Amino acid sequence: MTLQQTDTAAGPRPAARRRLSFRTREKIAGYLFVLPDALGLLVFVGLPMLLALGLGFFEVDGFGGYRFAGLANYRRMWADPLFWQSLGATLLYAAMLVPSLYVSGLGLALLVERTNAWNGVLRAIFFLPQMVSLVVVALIWKMLTVEKIGAISRALSPLGLGGISFLGNPDWAMFAVVFVSVWFLMGFYMLIFLGGLQDIPKEYYEAARIDGAGPLSSFWFITLPLLRPTSFFVLLVSLVTAVAGGAAFDLIYVMTKGGPANSTSLLIFYAYQQAFQYNSFGYAGAIASILVAVLLLVTLVMFLLTRGGRFQYE
Amino acid sequence: MTTDDSSSSVRRRMGGLTRRRLLTQGTAFGAAGLVGGVTGFPFINRLSARAQGAPLKFWQFYAPGGNVESQSQWFEKTVADWNASHEQQIELEYLPNADYMDGTRLPTAFASGEGPDLFIISPGDFLRYYNGGVLLDLTPFIEDAAKSDFSESVIANRMVDGKIFGIPMEVEPMAMYYSIPAFEEAGLNENDVPQTWDQLLDVAQKLTNDQRYGVLFDVTPGYYQNFTWYPFMWQGGGDIQGADGQSSFNSPAVIQALKLWQDAVNMGAAPRQVLGGGGFDIVPNLGSGYVAMQNVGIWGIAALRDGAPDLPYGVFKLPVPQGGKYVTVGGGWAFVANARGANPEAAGEFCAWALASMSPDSVQRVTDWCTVAKSDMPPRASALEAGGAAYQEGMMGVFSREIYPGTRAEPRVPPEVYKIVSDAIQATMLGGQDPAAAAAAASDQLNAFLSGYSGAPVL
Repeated sequence: MTLQQTDTAAGPRPAARRRLSFRTREKIAGYLFVLPDALGLLVFVGLPMLLALGLGFFEVDGFGGYRFAGLANYRRMWADPLFWQSLGATLLYAAMLVPSLYVSGLGLALLVERTNAWNGVLRAIFFLPQMVSLVVVALIWKMLTVEKIGAISRALSPLGLGGISFLGNPDWAMFAVVFVSVWFLMGFYMLIFLGGLQDIPKEYYEAARIDGAGPLSSFWFITLPLLRPTSFFVLLVSLVTAVAGGAAFDLIYVMTKGGPANSTSLLIFYAYQQAFQYNSFGYAGAIASILVAVLLLVTLVMFLLTRGGRFQYE
Repeated sequence: MTTDDSSSSVRRRMGGLTRRRLLTQGTAFGAAGLVGGVTGFPFINRLSARAQGAPLKFWQFYAPGGNVESQSQWFEKTVADWNASHEQQIELEYLPNADYMDGTRLPTAFASGEGPDLFIISPGDFLRYYNGGVLLDLTPFIEDAAKSDFSESVIANRMVDGKIFGIPMEVEPMAMYYSIPAFEEAGLNENDVPQTWDQLLDVAQKLTNDQRYGVLFDVTPGYYQNFTWYPFMWQGGGDIQGADGQSSFNSPAVIQALKLWQDAVNMGAAPRQVLGGGGFDIVPNLGSGYVAMQNVGIWGIAALRDGAPDLPYGVFKLPVPQGGKYVTVGGGWAFVANARGANPEAAGEFCAWALASMSPDSVQRVTDWCTVAKSDMPPRASALEAGGAAYQEGMMGVFSREIYPGTRAEPRVPPEVYKIVSDAIQATMLGGQDPAAAAAAASDQLNAFLSGYSGAPVL
């Protein structure tokens, strides 16, 4: 029995509706199901991105005044030492955060890979920071790291390190922000790696053990290669998080305000300052465009190098 | 399984709803929402703003329901009194302090043409809004006697071309607070209160131990840190801009002021991090014993009275450099009206009625704000007189007699200038940069900016 027969059985239909084949109607239905999401993306992501891009070519005073400025904002960026300092800080943050998240996420996943009650508790504990607001996280770490009287400073005091100002010294501040970011995000990446690890057939490990492979060899020759698609996803998402300042913005806003001495002023924070503190919305738009361009470029390179995350596998 | 069976089973699972019906109803619902969202709701939202006689919005960070009850009550009473006697009603809208000063609410509201009818600003933000063209000229609403009732130095940085664009609520001079128990613990007493910068560093070092810092200067980059640093620059005769309109930042006075804060940090007598909300927050810092001396404004009196009532403390005026002259900075917020608001006329009238009328109610309102709701110096001579005993006794007396007479108003600078100065302070104090190099670099940047600047004068 076919659908057409069912339709016929249901009674006569208008001629126009009958002209659509089953395949076409399925297609239309598919598009209609996707439509709400696509519209949402278009209105709330695509359109603002386009507007931000356009804003970069205007001088916007924040009070309704727009003046076409051509490439002036981009030329200003080129000559702005704070832009380059912020770009450098962003790259440093990404260079520290991405590997740290990869190693900590994978390490935790390997630690709690086996399914048992104890590991269930551990998984929940590792994921717990994700349940807390970033502002609260930032405030707590700010208190913990206060020089002399913060809990961490007191703990380090016997080692003669109690006087270190983790958030007040430019040499330490970025490390502190990266550390808190990793602490907050690693539980999420642990979950992704857990999913990847559980997809690896156990037979491979059994065969390797029979062949005399140790845990290290199994990890190196089985786990890591078969985790490539997961690794690709983790690296890509954590890189986007790092460059776009997903978690970092809130942390920096509460913990350091971009200081001390602009040492934690990531590009996203600098764009925020330009827009909302200095009313240079056009310049902020130009900075945001560069940020998106950097992200697109890096993502494109990663996709090309890994064949879209499939590597050699089809 | 047949398609028919499958479709029936899906229909059953969906409670009799076919896919076609789901799509049709979903599309209709979505379209209605979209049409409503794109056209209807903003229109309805704007109706309230456009409607004549709708309450004017007054944004600030005190009321209703602000942190300090007496301040919230003052705002609520002020607005209630106005509403009781005027047709145009006003509605208070509270924004948390951090959101108001550093957040996105105010800038985005103005950027989208939906700025509040009334709001408050500090001198640090004056040029940003004046140059943006949204500040209403309040001069026509203020009677001449009231104009001359305001202290010249206080009103000057709210004026452009002889016109008043903001009415100050208060004057908040900066001073140095000290903890008497900390002094006693270090074997010091009130005779050891420092009067020069060298003495300040020396005493701060004596007060420092493994749990406490000797002196606190604000460390968070921003308007407030600049505000607290200005008097140290002025004491040696330094300034941001010279009479010729060029930068005067590369001067010995600026360099020594940058060096003072750097020395305090480098010798371990001043912290790199502060507790609580920041350097302005006296209870979590001086009150908790984290620091022994703190550079804070007059509001510290009320804050300590409420937050650390058992702490014995003293106040002294800012020490001066060798050969320097005593100056402190006086901040404070001002009522301003949005020139592009729903009813600028009424908004301007409200500002003058509340704070700048010669009526006894208006004078008393200013006095109450400065003596009951807060612990501030009043911007008006009549309010100072009405305050009477409040300005003769205790710490307010110290401020009134010793600290306030050397007050210079907080400078108004465009955001670009504030950032350049802020970077110089941060680079030297916390980044270890040579003060002379930082002053020279900042001066070059200031000149580059000032040469193309066309807004109201920087004061």
